Amino acid sequence: MDRPIRIVLAKVGLDGHDRGIKVVARALRDAGMHVIYAGLWQTPEAVVRTLVDEDADWLGLSLLSGAHMTLVPRVLDMMKQAKVEHIGVMVGGIIPEADIPKLQALGVAKIFGPGTSLDDIVAFLNQPREPKP
Amino acid sequence: MIAALMDRLRQGDRNALARLISHAARGEYLAEIQAGILPSPSAKNARVVAFTGSGGVGKSSLIGKLIPLLRNQNHKIAVLASDPESPLTGGALLGDRFRMGSQADDGVFIRSLAALSGHGALADHLDVMIRLLEAFGFDVVFLETVGSGQGDVQVRDFSDVVVLLLQPESGDDVQWEKAGILECADVIVVHKADLPTADQTAAQVQMALDLSPSRHVPVVRVSTKANQGLAELWQAIESLPLRRKDTSAAALLCQSAVDWLEKCFHEAEEAGDPELKRTVDAWQRSELTIADATREIVRIATNTSEPEA
Repeated sequence: MDRPIRIVLAKVGLDGHDRGIKVVARALRDAGMHVIYAGLWQTPEAVVRTLVDEDADWLGLSLLSGAHMTLVPRVLDMMKQAKVEHIGVMVGGIIPEADIPKLQALGVAKIFGPGTSLDDIVAFLNQPREPKP
Repeated sequence: MIAALMDRLRQGDRNALARLISHAARGEYLAEIQAGILPSPSAKNARVVAFTGSGGVGKSSLIGKLIPLLRNQNHKIAVLASDPESPLTGGALLGDRFRMGSQADDGVFIRSLAALSGHGALADHLDVMIRLLEAFGFDVVFLETVGSGQGDVQVRDFSDVVVLLLQPESGDDVQWEKAGILECADVIVVHKADLPTADQTAAQVQMALDLSPSRHVPVVRVSTKANQGLAELWQAIESLPLRRKDTSAAALLCQSAVDWLEKCFHEAEEAGDPELKRTVDAWQRSELTIADATREIVRIATNTSEPEA
């Protein structure tokens, strides 16, 4: 891709653990991406509004709270309503094995659990994608 | 493609606005976008307010506090926030919007922009982005610069009002005598005014400003932490005139008329139009008043040519 990837990184819901997302933000920045850091305690509405206004290519959600099966589907639904379902979604954090296929079936492109290397995340995002509408 | 996006923008499609701003930010289709932003009679010029000051002085936080204040007054606010892009990797961490509160309010639009290294404190093509936001109906546009230093004066070209943020403990009184941003600021905010030495900083700045008595620059003490001085700050900003060129439909037509008249006059002059010469001579001999002579040369000049399509 000849222009930098624009990725929004956000934490939704009541989850104050932002060390991981900040480390990822830094790695993506150093890989030449434009990282829009939306920070903690975002509502799904605010995340989707950020995606629209920022014209992002990707959304990275971090959840360590256990609320992923509630919040992630809500974000995906609202993305459809806001007509930004072309934006790729990746999820990081504590996601039990059993929930991974469920989230993928809903449209999450990739889930990164604990121990993921930063290089893997960068390589995943750098894969060629279909141009967006 | 741009024309379709412009149509959608005029119908209030936020996604189209966002995409057009992306194109402008990357310098794509600039001519087509400019041509597409036809002035509509209802489109008004937004008040464009630039916030500048060193990194960590509190630009984003202050904007975050002004947004709800202005929403209460029914303003529609757009923010274009610039952060630096790495000269080494081209990457950027755009970390302004998370300090501006998390809202899903239709009357607020926030876009994070990467400012290319070496291009000053603002992202490129801001003028085009501002016109897009005006066309969409935002009446207040905030520009946030990259946290920057003393020579960051380019913001003045893009904005109606430049607000410079300073903070306590940021230099002795000689700092305020230096040329540069302090001269270009229209309003000065001594931020973090809850800190004990804020009064001293405000007094030093005021003293430096008083040495140029021809220019009145308000100094406002603001604390976003203690919610102080925000209404006073907006009052100071709002009381200043709009500096940018008027781009309303009527103003653009007027400019076009002036340009045409000037062209006609020069053509008539170069062609040695005898009527024109007689009029000028008559005025010089005081046989015609300036009002009559003006009327006469407008008649002569416009007699001979038509405005170009």
